[in-house]
Order: sequence, then structure tokens, then C-alpha cells
Amino acid sequence: MALSNASPESDDVSAPQTQLVQVQSEDVEDEPFATLPISANKFLNLLDTLEDYNTTVPNTITANYLSRAGMVTSDNRLVTLVSLAAQKFISDLASDALTHCKMRQASNNNIKKVNKEKKYVMTVEDLAIALEDKGIAVRRPPYYQ
Amino acid sequence: MSEPEPSDPLRSCLRMAVSSLCTEVGYDCADSTALETVTEMAQSLIVELGRSARAFCELASRVEPVSADIVLSMVEMGIPVQGLKEYAMRSNRVTLPAPAQTVTAKQTAILHTGNKKRHPGHIQDHLPEMPDSHSYIRTPTHRQPVTDYESVREKAASQKRDVERALTRFIAKTGKIHNLFKTDDSNLFPLISCEKEEEGMKLPPYLDALMFKDQVFEEDEREYLPKKRKSSHNDMDDDDEDNVDKKAKLDESLAEVENIDNPFLRPVRLPRPVKTPVK
Repeated sequence: MALSNASPESDDVSAPQTQLVQVQSEDVEDEPFATLPISANKFLNLLDTLEDYNTTVPNTITANYLSRAGMVTSDNRLVTLVSLAAQKFISDLASDALTHCKMRQASNNNIKKVNKEKKYVMTVEDLAIALEDKGIAVRRPPYYQ
Repeated sequence: MSEPEPSDPLRSCLRMAVSSLCTEVGYDCADSTALETVTEMAQSLIVELGRSARAFCELASRVEPVSADIVLSMVEMGIPVQGLKEYAMRSNRVTLPAPAQTVTAKQTAILHTGNKKRHPGHIQDHLPEMPDSHSYIRTPTHRQPVTDYESVREKAASQKRDVERALTRFIAKTGKIHNLFKTDDSNLFPLISCEKEEEGMKLPPYLDALMFKDQVFEEDEREYLPKKRKSSHNDMDDDDEDNVDKKAKLDESLAEVENIDNPFLRPVRLPRPVKTPVK
């Protein structure tokens, strides 16, 4: 007996999906994960696609850092997963900081110059504002002693 | 302000990866402090994920972490799992090549003597090699020194001969020699030149035999003697003047250097006086 699952798959974080997918008894051999949340299903699909993925951070670097922490694994997909997570975090942070940088430049240019400076420089100030949202406080000494 | 490159190659690789991520996002350049901060965060994130995943896996009585452990660690740290797939499939991603492993240059065994022993079975291969066999193997000699009179006497005599020969050859090669033959080749029978020159006067070679060198009776006596010698020498010279001109002059020359490249025998090279400019 199959229970129909009407809600479409969505990536909305705010509404965690807890509906179960129950398959017909004939399909049990095809899907080994019988009763799992949809997010877990999607995640396991993701893991399969990571088979030959090349991350920006080389796998050897990540594997080295993981072995420092005590996680030694022969499965490369796990290492890729960790490096992906770290990359995503960094990218999100950098894009937030870039947004702040652009806002700052826009406000500056409206007041002073007409031509917009095309160079975006990552400064600690922008980074600090972006990190505040994540709950990380960055304090920099005003001068070096 | 440029900070020195971190000595940890892992860290510098991570820094490069982080900078390429920032470039991908849209940045053109970055403060070095900001870059270091982001690199530090990336490193600590990776390490924390690994530590947390291992903790979860050990909690479940397993030895090797599984993907679920990593997911749990990410959840615990507050990193959303949902957006990962889209992020992985983004179009403008940059892939850095894996850092190549440099081969450690093999130490050339310059002073190689003897064969090194292999590692015994209980020693790992990555440990240093065994030292050369000569450093710990010694064979005690049991031969008694030769003490019979005949061989000792013979040895002493031959040593004396060799010393004399070597010394005379040395003086002949480095000092003035007297050629017996007219040929230029002075290597056949080098004779040390016996003419001594002192204070511009030519002294007879047997003078040293006549002078008492072992005891100096009086300082004044020594001073007198040279003057006497000079006067007598002058008489001698007058007699021999004509003869000397007629006689063929003694062939004196410096021994041909047989391409001896002894640095101690090279002629002295004085430094050229450097003229300092007047300021």
C-alpha cells in the first residue's frame, strides 16, 4: 500500500519536511532506504554525485586537516563533502562582505565622485560586519604596539 | 604590509584556495589581515567538522566515520545542509590542482665506506637508515710491533735516507739550483746552488763549516768577524775577477716548475693599492 506524497520537493529551509515516503512492497529491493525523510534522500543522492567532484580546496589538504582532527577515512566522498561545506561557508561570507563593500562604495560615490571604482578590496571592516550576522566577533587592535 | 609566507605548506595551499574562492565571488584584491582571518576560519571549520564527526562516530561505537556523522556535525555547527547541492553545481567554480609532492633529494653519500646494514624486521622503513659499517665495526689488530734489532735499524736507515732525499728535492724545487749540464732541462740532476749572497757579497759555501754557531762567546767577537771576511773576500775577488769573466758563469736558475700546483708554492700576489677618491 502506497501513501501518496503530494507536496513537491522544495529547498525551503523554513519548512522542514518531515513527511515520509513509503514505497510499494515490490520496490523494496530497488530502494534500500525505505522509510527516510526526503531531505535525507536528497542528501544521499547528493553523495552519489560527488563521486568525481573536484573541489576548490584540494582533497589532499582537507584530508590532512581531517587527519589532524582524528578523522581518517578511505572514502573520498566524505572528504569532498567536508571541503564543500567549508567552501560554501567561505563563499557565503565573502559574498556578504562584497555586498557590504558595494553598498559602501555606492554610498560614497553618490556623495563624492561620479565614476565608480571598479576594484573591490576585501577589508577587515566588511568582514567584521558580515561575521556579526553569523555570531562571530572580529576585533582588531587599532594599532600595533 | 606584507606578511611572510606561512611555513606550513598546508596553510599556504589553503590560503590560495581561499583567495581563489574570494576571486570567484567577485573580489579583486584583499587585505592580508582579512585573508588570514578567512583562512584561519576555514582551517578551524575543517578541523572542527572532522573532530565532531569522529566524536559522533565513536559515540555510535563505530571506528570509521560515515556520511551521517558529517551531517550531524554540520547540523551541530549550524551549517545548512540544504544548499550544498546547488552550490556544488555552480557554473563558475574554480578547481585548484593538487599540490605536487616534491621528492626529497637523496643525500649523496660522499664519504661512503662499506655497506649499510638493512633495517631489521621490527624497524619501520620511514625511520633513518643504519649508519655506515665503519662507524661501529672495528677489528682489533693482534700483530705485535716489530722489535728485532735488524728490521728496526733498517727502517731507521731507510727513513733517514728518504727524509734527506725529500728535503733536498724540496729545496731544489723551490730555491736556486745549479745546472750541471748546458741543457735547459733542469729536472735530471738538480743540485742546490751553493753560492750564498749576504750583504751583496758572495760568500764561499764552506763558510758555515768554519763559523762556530753553537756557542757565542762574545757579542763583539761576532761583529768583528764579518768585516774580516769582507776584506779577505775582496782580495779573493780581485784575483778571480778575470777568471770569473772567462769562466762560464754557473748556470743558476730556478728549477722548472713541473706544473706543481701547490698553493703554498705560488708567488705572492700583493693587492693593488686602491686609490680612494677624495671626497
